[in-house]
Amino acid sequence: MSEPVTTERRWRTFADVVAFALGTNVWISIVILPAIFIGALHGPGRILAALLPFAVLMLGLQRRSEVVLLGLFPAAVLVPVSLNPQLASSQVYGPLRFALVAIGVIAYLFGVSFFTTFHEPPAPRSVRMLSSAQQGPSTRWLRRERVYWGLTAMSIVIPTVLIAWVNFDDGIAAYIGAMYPGRVALMTTALTAGAIVLWLGIYHYAFLGALRPHRTGDRDLVNKLGRMRAEAKTGKPRTRFYLAVGFALVAMLSLILLRHL
Amino acid sequence: MLRRYFFEILAVALIGGSLFFFKETLDYLARRDYVAAVLVMVIGVAVISVGKEMARLALVQRD
Repeated sequence: MSEPVTTERRWRTFADVVAFALGTNVWISIVILPAIFIGALHGPGRILAALLPFAVLMLGLQRRSEVVLLGLFPAAVLVPVSLNPQLASSQVYGPLRFALVAIGVIAYLFGVSFFTTFHEPPAPRSVRMLSSAQQGPSTRWLRRERVYWGLTAMSIVIPTVLIAWVNFDDGIAAYIGAMYPGRVALMTTALTAGAIVLWLGIYHYAFLGALRPHRTGDRDLVNKLGRMRAEAKTGKPRTRFYLAVGFALVAMLSLILLRHL
Repeated sequence: MLRRYFFEILAVALIGGSLFFFKETLDYLARRDYVAAVLVMVIGVAVISVGKEMARLALVQRD
């Protein structure tokens, strides 16, 4: 009777160890090693900023929260980089080191997203094959699986290419050097952050947008759709209508005041 | 029926009209008047949101 509990605990521990090992690797390779390389670990503020991602990782592991591990931790890694843009400059990252760090980040994201949601089901008491199971998966599911693998591959390729392009293209480096002399590292880091934001936007609208209609068995989504249908039947504008009107009026008033006062 | 056409015309007018604000945003940006550009962009986004809401109401009337 205690076997499922033991199995669950075993998987939880395994997921925690994987997240800790891969997360620590990401933290050391993106924050600690570059900071040591350029000698940036001076002063309590910078040391605290360098320790922040590790603290967030520990918090995520303690709470076993996917939001903290997959959202807050990567964001916390960018805090020391934003305080000291030299940490992400192309002098610190050669193409080989960039490739190794990219592999580490991808391994962390995949490892955490897979192992924290993976649960080994308890062994069944008896097994009976259904007749449809012998025919193999339908072409519809095979097609979907191909789409999922395609999206996964693009999720790796697009951000890696965008960031590598920003950091290693000679034309971009020359342009930034001419436009912002003395601030090349800062502007390159800002462009890298812009590439990450662009990728997150593409991922949210294009990738998740393609996956959302597939979640037909999702109870949350079904409830949300039901709520939207009920709202539509009332025939009244939603709160966002009044908010939009308010924003427009405030912006117009500000513009008038700006022009005539 | 009249109500539905009213909402549809309003939706088209608002969504089409929002383009004017986005064009103005670009004009302000070209003149490096960034504060005004942001304000006009907020107006454009607000107008397009109101248009979207009108379109939703027109769809409800059609049902």
